[in-house]
Amino acid sequence: MKLLLVEDDRETAAYVKRALTEAGHAVDHASDGRDGLLLAAGETYDVMVLDRMLPRVDGLAILRTIRASGVKTPVLLLTALGGIDDRVEGLEAGGDDYLVKPFAFAELLARVNALARRPPPQDVQTTLRVADLEMNLLRRTVTRGGKRIELQPREFQLLEYLMRHAGKLVTRTMLLEAVWDFHFDPKTNIVESHVSRLRAKVDRNQAKELIHTLRGAGYSLREPD
Amino acid sequence: MWRSASLRLAILYTLAFTAAVGVLGLVTLMTTRGALSRQFDARILSESEALAQEFRVEGLNGVAQAVQERDRTPGALDYGLETPDGRPIAGRLAGRSADSGWSTLTMKQAGGERENIRVHATTLAHGYRLLVGGDDESIEAVDNLLVRRFALATVGVVMIGLVGGYGLARGMGRRIAAITDAAEAIIDGDLSRRVPATRSGDDLDRLAATFNRMLDRIATLMESLRQVSNDVAHDLRTPLTRLRGRLEANLGRPAGPERTAAIEGALTDLDAILATFAALLRIAQIEGGARRSAFRAIDLATIARTVVDAFAPSAEDAGQRLELEGVNSLAIEGDPELITQMLVNLVENGLRHAGPRAWVRVRCAVQAGRPVLSVVDDGPGVPDSERERLFDRFHRLEASRSTPGSGLGLSMVAAVAKLHGAEVSLHDATPGLAVRVTFPAGERTLQLPNVAATSS
Repeated sequence: MKLLLVEDDRETAAYVKRALTEAGHAVDHASDGRDGLLLAAGETYDVMVLDRMLPRVDGLAILRTIRASGVKTPVLLLTALGGIDDRVEGLEAGGDDYLVKPFAFAELLARVNALARRPPPQDVQTTLRVADLEMNLLRRTVTRGGKRIELQPREFQLLEYLMRHAGKLVTRTMLLEAVWDFHFDPKTNIVESHVSRLRAKVDRNQAKELIHTLRGAGYSLREPD
Repeated sequence: MWRSASLRLAILYTLAFTAAVGVLGLVTLMTTRGALSRQFDARILSESEALAQEFRVEGLNGVAQAVQERDRTPGALDYGLETPDGRPIAGRLAGRSADSGWSTLTMKQAGGERENIRVHATTLAHGYRLLVGGDDESIEAVDNLLVRRFALATVGVVMIGLVGGYGLARGMGRRIAAITDAAEAIIDGDLSRRVPATRSGDDLDRLAATFNRMLDRIATLMESLRQVSNDVAHDLRTPLTRLRGRLEANLGRPAGPERTAAIEGALTDLDAILATFAALLRIAQIEGGARRSAFRAIDLATIARTVVDAFAPSAEDAGQRLELEGVNSLAIEGDPELITQMLVNLVENGLRHAGPRAWVRVRCAVQAGRPVLSVVDDGPGVPDSERERLFDRFHRLEASRSTPGSGLGLSMVAAVAKLHGAEVSLHDATPGLAVRVTFPAGERTLQLPNVAATSS
């Protein structure tokens, strides 16, 4: 994927750029708001990663400007401001996701991947399918190998999120935000308990396990190789 | 002093009053002059009438005698009697060819001074003419008197206005200087300084009171900031020291599983430090009151259900039970995200401290018209002596030093509750601890059906 990184801190930028490049992405980097805006408006990217506070033109201003000119590229905002209002403000300005510094690199990569794989909004999906696991979004039913699986509403939401991001790493915080709308990190690992219950329903007595735990990073739903 | 707003105002008012006194004087002068002239004319007319009567009764000789007599009386009017062809018979006005009706004659006085005499001529029977008139110098005298008095009054008004204005400016100046002094002292760093108020309760006092309330608010914010820096120093240094030690000890270690484990441990420490830091900032933000703008109508019971649903599986995995009780819907005004976080902290606190087989209940209820959210556990509870300190930042019971947690959970609960105008109270649940958050009674609370307790 082709990514734009606008980040003024030289060291952070170098580290993020190297890691994203190692993960197989092409990264353009701008170190101030004006250069960032020129690149964001002039080039086509799969995902943009904008720091919120930048010299000259700040990240939110870049975001508002490109959104006003019709650029729909997914944007991940990075911020050192951790307030609730800051997040709301960022999303209202047209940001698609928000990550508070400091962050684990795996978290950034997972979120960038999740943003890039977003289906276009006009494309209304009614069924999701991964291997022999099938989810009907209209009837709210799930089958595996044709056999019905009964899920609690939360488990359904959890599985839906995993299926929409099939093959990709989904972190705990992504699930907390998407499924429970928790924008803080509880000390209890509630995600683990829910995923293990979901796994018991989806993968029990199956030859192939679909829900995988990536230790210390998160989860991934995919057909095993 | 000359740049004082109240003095300028006083001068302006003095000018306005002087102008008003001038207008009043003019009107009085005109009115008085009119009234006096009419009175004078009436006197002349009534004298003419009396002498015409004399002519009718006593004839020409009678009236001529009367005219001569009156002419000699000092202070009386002036008179004249003429033949039909204008020759004088008696009186000093006769023979001056005055017109019929009203006219003014200019005459020389004994001392050579000229005087204007207002004359009325009446034609009697057989064409004889009777003249009655007088000098209206008395009217002028009154005019002059009035003008002098009003000039004096104007001077008085100006004096009173200026002296009063000066006094007013000084009084106001002193009070404004007190406010300025207080502000200057605060700028110089004395945040405890307040603006003095008089007992009159006027607009300046109200301004001072508002000013003082603003200062109280700023002082609270400053105190909160100071508290945060103290807290940061107090409780971030310890884990940072530990982290530093860990990194230092492993600096020379060769690459391998042990070194990897050390780095992972360091990352875990770092995450804990960041979490504490984030919680501190969050508490400071909440205590700053900045979040009240996000208030809206929310349902406590829905939030409680979400939290219980989220935590029940992990509680179950740990051999504990987490249940929801109470009404199905409980509306309050609040910030959903903060209320959720508050409840999460309470639930985690309950599960953590109540032990391995704990039974924790989250309950939504209406008590005495007020929405109440409580979290009740059946653990060892908290000794009476410790309850108050439970909400201090970083305070952790001695017994729980070994369990994880930054000690910030309940501080955040207290901050969120305070923001919502709610009271947090701790009760003995025999056994266990009940934490009760009582929200203020809202108009929405009363509209809610207080349905029977349902268990989730």
